[in-house]
Amino acid sequence: MRMFMSQFAAARPGLTAGDSSPRSTATRYRRLGMTVFALAVACSAFAQDLLIRDATILTVSHGKIEHGSIFVHGGKIAAVGTNDQVTGPSNAQIIDASGKFVMPGIIDTHSHTAVEGSVNEISLPNTGMVRIRDVLTNEDIDVYRQLAGGTTTALVLHGSANPIGGQSQIVKWKWGHPVSEWPVSDAPRTIKFALGENPKSSNFRPPPGIPAQYPQTRMGVEEVIRQSFTDAKDYIARWDDYEAKRKRGETPIPPRHDILMETMVDILKGKIDVHSHCYRADEIMMLLNVADEEGFKIRELQHVLEGYKVAKEIAAHGVGGGTFIDWWGFKAEAYDAIPYNVALMNNAGILTSVNSDSAELARHLNQDAAKAMKYGGLSEEEALKLCTLNGAKQLRLDHRIGSIDVGKDADIVIWTGHPFSTYSRVETTLVDGEILFDRQKDLSLRKQLAQEKKDRLKKEADDEAKNKKKPGKSDDDAKPEVTNEN
Amino acid sequence: MSRRFLCFSVVSLLFLAASAFADAPGVYAITGGTVHPVSGPEIANGVVIIRDGLIESVGVNVAIPLDATVIDVKGSHVYPGLIDAQTSLGFPSATATRRRGGGAGARTAAPEALPETGPSFLAFREAKLSDDDLDAKRGTGVTTIVTAPAFGIFNGQSVALNLSSGTMESRVIRNPVSQQISFNPRPAWTYPDSLMGVISYIRQTFMDAQQYSAARAIYDKNPAGYKRPDESPSLEALGGVLHRDVPVVFVADSELMIRRAEAIAKEFNVRMIIGGARQGYKMGDELKSLGAPVLVSTKWATAPTAKEDREEQPLRVIRDRQLQPTTPAVLAKSGVLFALVSGAGKTADYFAGIRKAIENGLSADDALKATTINPAKIIGIDRQLGSLDRGKIANIVITDKPIFDKESKVKRIFVDGREAKVPTEDEKKKSASTSTGTGVDGTWSFVVKATSGDVNISATLHVENGQISGTYSGDHGSGDVGNGTFDGTTVQFSIAGGGKEEAGDWVFHGTLHGANMDGTVATTLGTFPFTGSKK
Repeated sequence: MRMFMSQFAAARPGLTAGDSSPRSTATRYRRLGMTVFALAVACSAFAQDLLIRDATILTVSHGKIEHGSIFVHGGKIAAVGTNDQVTGPSNAQIIDASGKFVMPGIIDTHSHTAVEGSVNEISLPNTGMVRIRDVLTNEDIDVYRQLAGGTTTALVLHGSANPIGGQSQIVKWKWGHPVSEWPVSDAPRTIKFALGENPKSSNFRPPPGIPAQYPQTRMGVEEVIRQSFTDAKDYIARWDDYEAKRKRGETPIPPRHDILMETMVDILKGKIDVHSHCYRADEIMMLLNVADEEGFKIRELQHVLEGYKVAKEIAAHGVGGGTFIDWWGFKAEAYDAIPYNVALMNNAGILTSVNSDSAELARHLNQDAAKAMKYGGLSEEEALKLCTLNGAKQLRLDHRIGSIDVGKDADIVIWTGHPFSTYSRVETTLVDGEILFDRQKDLSLRKQLAQEKKDRLKKEADDEAKNKKKPGKSDDDAKPEVTNEN
Repeated sequence: MSRRFLCFSVVSLLFLAASAFADAPGVYAITGGTVHPVSGPEIANGVVIIRDGLIESVGVNVAIPLDATVIDVKGSHVYPGLIDAQTSLGFPSATATRRRGGGAGARTAAPEALPETGPSFLAFREAKLSDDDLDAKRGTGVTTIVTAPAFGIFNGQSVALNLSSGTMESRVIRNPVSQQISFNPRPAWTYPDSLMGVISYIRQTFMDAQQYSAARAIYDKNPAGYKRPDESPSLEALGGVLHRDVPVVFVADSELMIRRAEAIAKEFNVRMIIGGARQGYKMGDELKSLGAPVLVSTKWATAPTAKEDREEQPLRVIRDRQLQPTTPAVLAKSGVLFALVSGAGKTADYFAGIRKAIENGLSADDALKATTINPAKIIGIDRQLGSLDRGKIANIVITDKPIFDKESKVKRIFVDGREAKVPTEDEKKKSASTSTGTGVDGTWSFVVKATSGDVNISATLHVENGQISGTYSGDHGSGDVGNGTFDGTTVQFSIAGGGKEEAGDWVFHGTLHGANMDGTVATTLGTFPFTGSKK
């Protein structure tokens, strides 16, 4: 598929000036013959071609384009530039974005939205065998609300009740699509680790009669992580021994496949990225040291409210940081949090993002990113990256999302004004080139849905009243179909 | 031998014979009724001959055997006894046991280490069927059931039973019918206590069964030089499932749960039957292409009683409960092999649920198939049961009106060719009143005494097989109640903090005292007392 796209990219109506009239486009389509046909089939699952016209485009990767246009084809950004540089075929749907602002879809690297059942499997200190992707639900209305706030991609994490939580899942908020289409296909696998008060159960105690869950201290948290990797190495040795015996022509009894241990092994092999919940500087250093000693990598520190205290060390480890801009004091380990944390970490060379941990905050991460211009003086583009490109890099998906660039997924948000203004709101959100939120459509749909609800409730009440009125009056209720065998 | 003695002997022989016949299935000719054989068109003024527990003949011009007791049922309707292919009859509805699940041992624990059920659990051995259960069930026209407990994750091996008097052994039609799996999380702090944990647990158990079977094969071939594998009845029991000899009934109601079950069935190449499927209306054609038969539970979602509670519900929930009863009609249209079952529902509500499906587009003809020949096919007993045909088991129900008519009454029932008792209307009412819901069902007002002040929460709770579900709203946001369990006195459930993980789930642990509840709420901010009262 990707190969097809690049073939097509060479022939697309796009940035090259002068040769983009519909006529020459048609000629090019014809010349491509079967390739174009194959593409048309392959792309039929995507929305139709779109041309966003005359917007102020915040590309994030290469500055701001005034009076710019974006051509969306096959779910991808096929062209971006000024109005006169970018055209599309005559059948493309035109979105007039005059006076509006366009930015890439917001990326939330800390979400618990769209999870059915508990986000925590709290029964064990290490629950790396469980997977968020098994329990995603497409019925969580918060997903739609987040699209209405411009958020298009999220890392949906297991909770922080245990030192090693479940496997997390990177998804796009493809509202209206089956949930099987939500996981980003080539995204890395991820897992949640957690340090500090939550995994030591400080705030979450079992009811009387159930013993406290191990661990109860930060020491214990560290021990659980170390022991898990020690166990994983034993597990590897057991399987290596089995394979060696087989190679020698023996028929050994196969060891047990242990989903948890296989998860730990995949972390060691770099196949699963670790995103770890943490607050305090000491526990951050602990985790970096344990990772070095056990031989695995931390991809991103989550929350990391004291990251500014050890920013140099985090940067030296090449670990990202996803944090809150101005949440603090909500528990003991958040007392040293400061709003300058984002800017301080960013300036120390840490790949930094702002994320939500909240279905509500996930609707306006643009505002949190904006605050980093006030607290620490980040530039507009640096601040924009906090909720877009930096998150994409932390998720290792910056080849697909995070900026308005040719070839990237058409995850695009159109705002009434600059997204850093509290007065701006989202007009349209595209995911993979498909309009999944549109404010005007939403407003008209509201009336329709309210009417449906009213009608359904009325019918229900009427039916009940009818049944109550004539209990036992069977003749009126007799169903004609039961009298024959048609 | 004196004449007198001979006379005595003849009399006593006759007496003996008579008493033997009273107990043995005899010969009956059911005449004059409209016979619905299911396998063919209905027969007006038809005759069904029963001999020694089996159907001898069905038709119009059937000669009445001389030894037959003639039962004239003119004006009535004669059907094969109905088959309710998924029930938990004979099992308690709740599990009270809580097991500590921590430490390294838990993740290597075989299923039998968990309480109550597991793959080797035999419903045949454990079901406790009371005469009242049997009478009530038969009173609705059901003569064969499949039963397994609804609690636990691996519910165990279900059994198909004729609802006859006599021993459990004599009732069995098929054993086991299936392995049954339910996605029931265990109480908090016991693995697995989340839905995602349950899925991992099921997958791990199947992987263990694969490994067990591989290890046994190697060891049994040549034990010398090997450490012998541990014996595991549970993993042994799953061997039949992995070899596709025994199907798995996955109890899955929602579209998403059905897809989760499908993923597991595909991963381990097991034969799937879907049980529940109340959201099957969303996916008729997909279920058809999936090819798995469906046992549709007729326990349709109901509306809250209070008008204001209904208005607070999202359209999605209202729409769902109104569309659920269209599931059978949708499946019939898509050509899915399905049966209508009581599932988690009460015996007394089974027929109301079937009638609701008929009101929502299912033909009475399809409803009859879905309660006779279809379930027989799905559970593999269609050569013995499911229609009125020569040679099949004589399970017969006779009603005064077409069987799914609202006013239809069961007049006589034959099970294994023996006439069985039909409960009177008074007995039916009595059994219905004793099987009504638990004290938890209803709308509750909770007050949580948090350090920051009182938090008022309103919740509508519903108990089904020891699992609490429902919705909540109030000072702590609104949403679905999760992870709920009820064991008769102790209540546990959690509410989410509006998707905000730092706010965390609030886990309620309470005790029920009539219309009141009290206990504690565990939150990330600390543990607070709460009280609740039923509206």
